[in-house]
Amino acid sequence: MHPNEIVINDYVDAALDRAERADVERHLAGCVECRELVDDLREVRRQTAALQPMEPPSRVWTRIDRALRQNPRSARPKWRWLPVAALLVIGTAVGVRYVTSARPAAPAPAVAAPSANGGGAAAPGSNDSAGSRELAKSVEDDLLQAEQHYQRAITGLEQIANADKGALDPHTAATLQKNLSVIDQAINESRAALKAQPTSEPAQQSLLDSFKTKIALLQDTVALINEMRKGNDAGAARIASGLKQKS
Amino acid sequence: MTVPKQRQPLLFPSKSVTVGVGDTALVARVQAGDVDAFEALYKQHAARIYSLASRMAGSPDEGEDLVQEIFLQAYRKLGSFKGDASVGTWLYRLAVNHCLDFVRSRRAKMGRVTDTLDAAGSFEPVSQRETPLARIDLERAIEQLPAGCREAFVLHDVEGFDHKEVARLLGIAEGTSKSQVFKARMKLRGLLARRT
Repeated sequence: MHPNEIVINDYVDAALDRAERADVERHLAGCVECRELVDDLREVRRQTAALQPMEPPSRVWTRIDRALRQNPRSARPKWRWLPVAALLVIGTAVGVRYVTSARPAAPAPAVAAPSANGGGAAAPGSNDSAGSRELAKSVEDDLLQAEQHYQRAITGLEQIANADKGALDPHTAATLQKNLSVIDQAINESRAALKAQPTSEPAQQSLLDSFKTKIALLQDTVALINEMRKGNDAGAARIASGLKQKS
Repeated sequence: MTVPKQRQPLLFPSKSVTVGVGDTALVARVQAGDVDAFEALYKQHAARIYSLASRMAGSPDEGEDLVQEIFLQAYRKLGSFKGDASVGTWLYRLAVNHCLDFVRSRRAKMGRVTDTLDAAGSFEPVSQRETPLARIDLERAIEQLPAGCREAFVLHDVEGFDHKEVARLLGIAEGTSKSQVFKARMKLRGLLARRT
């Protein structure tokens, strides 16, 4: 009876213990077929061991080189959607700057015009009130426009981030959610303060700052997801570390 | 006759990997975005990786695509190279994992779990040997092996992994690895004999 195939294989690989090897060799001494098989298998092994590395065709490097030079690491977009996010943020920044520069200058203090007939001057304070109301309205409008710009950017970034949030580990996702909740609370408080005092500059600035912070956090989230998708653990760890420090 | 010492299990085979002089400097240049430095790294290691990829895939054309993917991946990931192994070893690990992902993905698409030969449960002794196994195009014969046993054969007989490592890499039992390698050798024996 011929030895089992695994035994023959192990014999060829010199992986049998002494007793098993002796059994096989006793069989081989009387079995031409098995001796020829063992010889052939050893020849296959010998030729396989003698295989040389094969050089790839030169076109392989050409393609790699072209891919690298067309998308150098520094200039390559981090993620296919990030340019959209970047445009949203740029558009928002431009929009906010436009809104800020377009804000009408505060009206000059009212000066009582000499009456044509030298009669009584205009009632004091009436022009101040109108000017203040106009300013307040203008500021409200500007702020509304700025908020709309920021909100559009935030919505876009949220869509991108939410589409692949599953790529984040639960702890990081929880940290990000917590940070977002804190910022949203600040936004709501600023809005409430502005409702009570529309012309309050600190409240206006607080609202705009909160929007900027939220956008920055969403940008980091998108960048983190992108690094994780690329398998860049070091890059992902850096971003995640930064996010945890901000929380 | 002395019995050669059993190979100790290695995470990666003991076949030597070229450790280039100035690996550290080369890697630093690549990490800084120097494509010429990356080309030098490619030239040092491409042959070994192309050989692995072509043989695992069973096709030089697939091998070309895999090499391209492997090196582009390496370029992106070199930022995370810590230097705890030689860059050649690091590249090789990347290549093995990438090739394994490729064969698994291809197998999943084809809906097959394992490939087996038509061989009978026991070996097929050749009753008549007419010519010696000479002038053999072994590379072409390896390409013709069915995927499952080709992968085990390439990892074990060509790349030098032991059966325990092959089993771990392929997600099979150690006994299955031995069986697949045996069947591959039998198939090659038959293919090579027909060519002579």
